[in-house]
Amino acid sequence: MAARALDARRSRWLLLAWAVAIFALSAVTDPGTLAVLAVVAGAVFARGAGAVLRRVLVTVVPFVALLVGASWAWMRLVVGVAPDGQAYAALVLRAALLAFVTFAVMRRVDLLGALAGWPTASRLAVLTLAQVHALRLVATESWQGLQSRLPRRPGAVDAVRGAGGVTGALLTLSTRNAREVTDALRSRGF
Amino acid sequence: MHVPDGFLSPLVTLPAYAAATPLWALGVRRHFGSAQVEALPVLGSLTAVAFVIQTLMIPIPGGTSTHLLGVPLLALRYGPLAAFVAESLVLVLQALLLGAGGVTVLAVNALAMGLIGPSAGWLLHRVLRPVHAGAAAFLGAAVALPVAAAVVAGVLGLQQRLDPSYFPGPLPVVAAALLLPAVLAGLLEGAYTLVAMRLLGRVRGGAGA
Repeated sequence: MAARALDARRSRWLLLAWAVAIFALSAVTDPGTLAVLAVVAGAVFARGAGAVLRRVLVTVVPFVALLVGASWAWMRLVVGVAPDGQAYAALVLRAALLAFVTFAVMRRVDLLGALAGWPTASRLAVLTLAQVHALRLVATESWQGLQSRLPRRPGAVDAVRGAGGVTGALLTLSTRNAREVTDALRSRGF
Repeated sequence: MHVPDGFLSPLVTLPAYAAATPLWALGVRRHFGSAQVEALPVLGSLTAVAFVIQTLMIPIPGGTSTHLLGVPLLALRYGPLAAFVAESLVLVLQALLLGAGGVTVLAVNALAMGLIGPSAGWLLHRVLRPVHAGAAAFLGAAVALPVAAAVVAGVLGLQQRLDPSYFPGPLPVVAAALLLPAVLAGLLEGAYTLVAMRLLGRVRGGAGA
């Protein structure tokens, strides 16, 4: 279950504390200290920690681990000696810890409420999120269109073949959508 | 080619924020203010397209990933500052929603992929446009990615010189890993930008008809 969002003032304070904390955490290089800090972060954000941890393990850790593993292997290939694994392990741990703290804070804050004092920031956030949502819809429709045109389940090759057309459709539709947004902004006195 | 959170120390990330902040203020005022009612939604749309394009990342050795940017198109149409702000928005969304890149490294990533790379493309486009508009768009976008990759490699190399306990790869090793994929992705970026410029021109033309 999602944590209840704080009010705008408290959200602003939590965002400020988060900004300081993540820069401080990004300065820690010792894996032991990072492990202790991970336990502390888990205790501080205990409510909903399981869901946040799952999200970190699904979205951040595999990508960073793959990247770090590839970098380790590349270094070994180029230099000819297996590099010390401790720094690479610390990289994965640090990236995971920063993502955990970020996701945990984002669950608790009312981001748009916190940005309400800065109209331009709110406008940018709303506009971009709305467009991302519109594009998700268009991409889903395009994928469904591709599925309906093929007698079998579309594979990677079909997706690549259709990617040009889908990108074209995305651009055309989003530009038309942008025109409607312009009219809406005008009608609201912008 | 996002540098993930935790790969750079505050010794690198904080000066990058100091350099980026005034440019963000200038870019937002110039391109994303309430006076830009006409351009704002198109910028929002192209930013969203860039968000979708950049989500398809391929991890590569050297501490980062390779992918298309989408924002050189914005630089060619609206100028490098518009691309810089748009790229920063993409990076904020990716960091907060997907955990890609990150907030501490935001300024470094934005300066490399949103400003320096697209600025190089924008300059080349301006020089070549009188000769051939299509070639200028293709080459302008194609050059943005390798330039951005070179900046990212330089920053990771600098971090290794400052404190190897962060990212242990030295500059030549990192640059070798980053540049070839960036050149190849740059060619795709050029093709995407060329097609997108033509499509946008056609949509605009259609609106006036």
